Amino acid sequence: MKRRWSLVLLCLLLVVPALAFGQAKTTLELLIHQNDPMVNYINSMNEKFQAKYPAITVNVSVVKADELATSTQTRLTANDVDVIDMFGFAQGILPFMKGVDKPNWQTLIEAGYLMDLTGQPFLKFYDASAIKDAGSFNGRVYEVNTGRYAFTGVFYNKDLFAKYAVKVPTTWSQLLAAAATFKKNGIAPMTCGGKDGWPVLVAGYGILLSYYPDQAALVKGLWTGEVKWNSPKSVEMWKRMQILARDLIEPGASAIAFDAAPGRFASGAAAMLPAGSWDAPAIQAANPNLKLGYFPMPASDNAADNKYLGGKYDVGWVVNAHTAKKDAALKWLDFFSQPANYQEYVTATGIMPTQPTATLNTAFGKEAKPYLANFRLGFELLWANIKGQGQWMQPNASFFKPFNQWEDPAKLADQVQADLEVALKAAK
Amino acid sequence: MNRTSWSRNVGLYLALIFIAIIYVGPVIMVVNTSLKAKQEFNLNPSSLASGLHLENYANAWKKASFPLYLKNSLFYAVVATAIYAVTAVFVAFPISRKYVKGHGWLFTLFVVALFLPNAIIPQFQLMLHLRLYNTQVGYILLNLVDAIGVIILINYVSSLPRDLDEAAAMDGCSYFRFVMQVVFPLMKPALASVILLHSIGIWNDYVTPLIYLPAKQLMPITRGLMVFYGQYGNDWTTLSAAVLLLMLPMIALFLSLQRWIIAGVLQGSVRG
Amino acid sequence: MSSTLYAFGSRKSRLVPYLLLLPGLLLYLFVSLGPSVATTIYSFTDASGLLGTAVHWVGLANYEEFLFRGANARDNWEITLRTLQFAFLVTVVQTGFGLLAASLLNQRLRGRNAFRTIFFMPVILGATIIGLMWTLFLYPLGGPVEKLLNLLGTRSDFMGGPPSEAFYWIVWIQIWANMGTTMIIFLGGLQTIPNELHEAARIDGAGAWATFRAITFPLLTPSLNTNLLLNIIGSLQAWQLMLVIKGPTNGLNVLGIWIYALAFGRQSNNPTQAAMRQGYGAAASVLLFLLVLVVGLTAQYLIRRRERRLLG
Repeated sequence: MKRRWSLVLLCLLLVVPALAFGQAKTTLELLIHQNDPMVNYINSMNEKFQAKYPAITVNVSVVKADELATSTQTRLTANDVDVIDMFGFAQGILPFMKGVDKPNWQTLIEAGYLMDLTGQPFLKFYDASAIKDAGSFNGRVYEVNTGRYAFTGVFYNKDLFAKYAVKVPTTWSQLLAAAATFKKNGIAPMTCGGKDGWPVLVAGYGILLSYYPDQAALVKGLWTGEVKWNSPKSVEMWKRMQILARDLIEPGASAIAFDAAPGRFASGAAAMLPAGSWDAPAIQAANPNLKLGYFPMPASDNAADNKYLGGKYDVGWVVNAHTAKKDAALKWLDFFSQPANYQEYVTATGIMPTQPTATLNTAFGKEAKPYLANFRLGFELLWANIKGQGQWMQPNASFFKPFNQWEDPAKLADQVQADLEVALKAAK
Repeated sequence: MNRTSWSRNVGLYLALIFIAIIYVGPVIMVVNTSLKAKQEFNLNPSSLASGLHLENYANAWKKASFPLYLKNSLFYAVVATAIYAVTAVFVAFPISRKYVKGHGWLFTLFVVALFLPNAIIPQFQLMLHLRLYNTQVGYILLNLVDAIGVIILINYVSSLPRDLDEAAAMDGCSYFRFVMQVVFPLMKPALASVILLHSIGIWNDYVTPLIYLPAKQLMPITRGLMVFYGQYGNDWTTLSAAVLLLMLPMIALFLSLQRWIIAGVLQGSVRG
Repeated sequence: MSSTLYAFGSRKSRLVPYLLLLPGLLLYLFVSLGPSVATTIYSFTDASGLLGTAVHWVGLANYEEFLFRGANARDNWEITLRTLQFAFLVTVVQTGFGLLAASLLNQRLRGRNAFRTIFFMPVILGATIIGLMWTLFLYPLGGPVEKLLNLLGTRSDFMGGPPSEAFYWIVWIQIWANMGTTMIIFLGGLQTIPNELHEAARIDGAGAWATFRAITFPLLTPSLNTNLLLNIIGSLQAWQLMLVIKGPTNGLNVLGIWIYALAFGRQSNNPTQAAMRQGYGAAASVLLFLLVLVVGLTAQYLIRRRERRLLG
């Protein structure tokens, strides 16, 4: 009787590992973050890829954006993943920065986790400057960046604007007037994915950009002390961020997840949606009849300050340097990079392409085109965290009620500046 | 029954009902939402469901990959608990009976477990070095220990008469056979509680699968449900149906095994 | 102390209990106890957690950074304070609530078993179900509690609102989830109090509250102590529910979830900055352990002292 049980247990212990390890074909492990249009495109592209290469199966893991960094690191170190979606290399350490945290991608490169892709044939399809700015380190290429998104603009519902005779606002007071008109008629001026926190942060970036169009200079200025978070100019900026969080964004927005916001906006519940251009396909998918527009957040009283669009290099592909399936991974990257496939990717996700032959031909793409000449890299891409920097050292509109505790913009400004100065002092 | 007693009883019932509402309210909300159409919920989350949209359950079953996740959860809970139960009895028995030298130290070793630093970081490194990350074996390995269960068993063994041991030995029974054939059946009450507590703990664990089981095929239902929530976080009607699909069997299990579970909780709270 | 009379033979077969004990013991040492102890050693290194990166012995540098370095340290002290607040609120309210429920259930009322089942149910439902259930119940755009608050003239964003507010909602859900255990332990204690004592008090003309104060509560001391200690230690270390409901969030974190965030790279919204810092996280773990030790031992001392005074 006891022997039978021990046999059963022994069998279980032997069968289980076999189940886990038994694979004949090559399985390529892909890790991407949750973004409906991108996930859908990747899935359909994988079907074509698997049809072309029957010996390779692509297994896609999707995680929420805030879990991506964790999954990337844990799976890389366990050698459990092959191709990973990583945002464009940002926050590189500049010469005037002392005592800053190394960006994560640099740590991974230096620890030998990211494959050196320099010289790979598919790189020639891409814009050289994009490869350099978003995917290189010390002259070697580690990431194939797939494009840029703008995140300082505001989506607007052209029909609603026409219905209430509202023109596209080019100054702050025009924006407030437009918001008042919508409120009077029972339409929320703006909605936002407050539940996930970062959409409100992103919504505030447009305000930051209007006050500090040269974000690289902003970073340097903060380091040298020329620019302060609690200067009168900055306090005015914080005041407007508060108005955004408290008055313009609809109450209850903290229930709306980041991927529910496009749907809500598309349904006509709100007239505007301050969000990144990555939401464009989701908005159109939710309501194909919606006439969609996009304008830069007009946070300044001077229209000339409000014609920039800030953004980031977004999804890029990196390869696990220790992968056993190097060949499959490179084939996949090559397949993705083929201009025909890449163009489909661009159309599906609404990303601004990093391949010169691709164009963003969607309705949204045409809408954003005039502003793209003034594309700026956003602050969050340039600011490297100083060791010991506190949680308030961020131009974050979601610090204000109802998303967080702050009610006085001047006090918040002082806190932010204080956090910065403490860190700068410790960094010397 | 005089009047003061009657009004006192009414007061007590009112208090009980009030608390019951607090406990049943969220459950009713889940049930109600699971019967609504998506638009219906978006328009008015608090309204009573107007129809019975049972397709939410079919959707949840399919979209949230219930069969896969439930199978995994069951597998982990059963295998880990079975191995644990056997090893735990063989640890608890000699310690309680003082058949091993250093039994006092061993007992203390298990008691101390509750007070030690969080082990997740070295455990992670251990799993990495053993190459057991993202494997079923690794996950089960992490679930083969439970100090509270061992303590409960140790306490229970001391209630078993020693004469049994002597009688069995005189009959020529070996130690191993004695424990397997005599002790195990006698330990049924404590074992039942320990097994239930341990398997419920594994079933409900979210953190360990979050860290160690990124592969969808290996995920238990707790992680699977949260992954589904991450992808369909605004689809509350389907999500509620999924939550209910998970809750109902657990409630059924609880109702039938209530006695053992509660006994286990009580025994686990007794400090050694 | 030598092992007591072992009846199953001698010499070779004397080793059998040891051999059979070994698997369970080794598993425990290897998977649980060992790693717990190793955390301390880890805390003195700058290990990131990534295999193959250089690891250096840094002594107390992690502790220094956590407790004293820059505005970061201020945030860490806030987290520590918040952990204590969390534990205090949860312990006090959960113990009181559990006592109330147990007292009600101890009365000879029909259907009390049904109530007991209902109140205890959340204990076995687990953090995922409870977290999702309450996220739905506390839906800020017209959910039932929101509507109730509107009737009372106010509103809330619940767990999505300002962290200072979200904190209390999470405290409440934690209490709701675990009250059943506390209640059961109190029920066990209440049932050991002989009825004759209550009868005697009633005959002497004592009201319900006086009886409770003079007889019931003092005799409940063992159960109260168990509950207090379990709740204090448990709530100081709790974080799974917070993880399911909100995830690591500045202004809301308790030490438990912050350790996870540091160790696995979820301490920042910004993916570039969210680096795994396992040496640093281990230091935070040790600090939490010390906190539990200090608070737990102090509580234990005070509780036992009161027990001795009351029950002699």
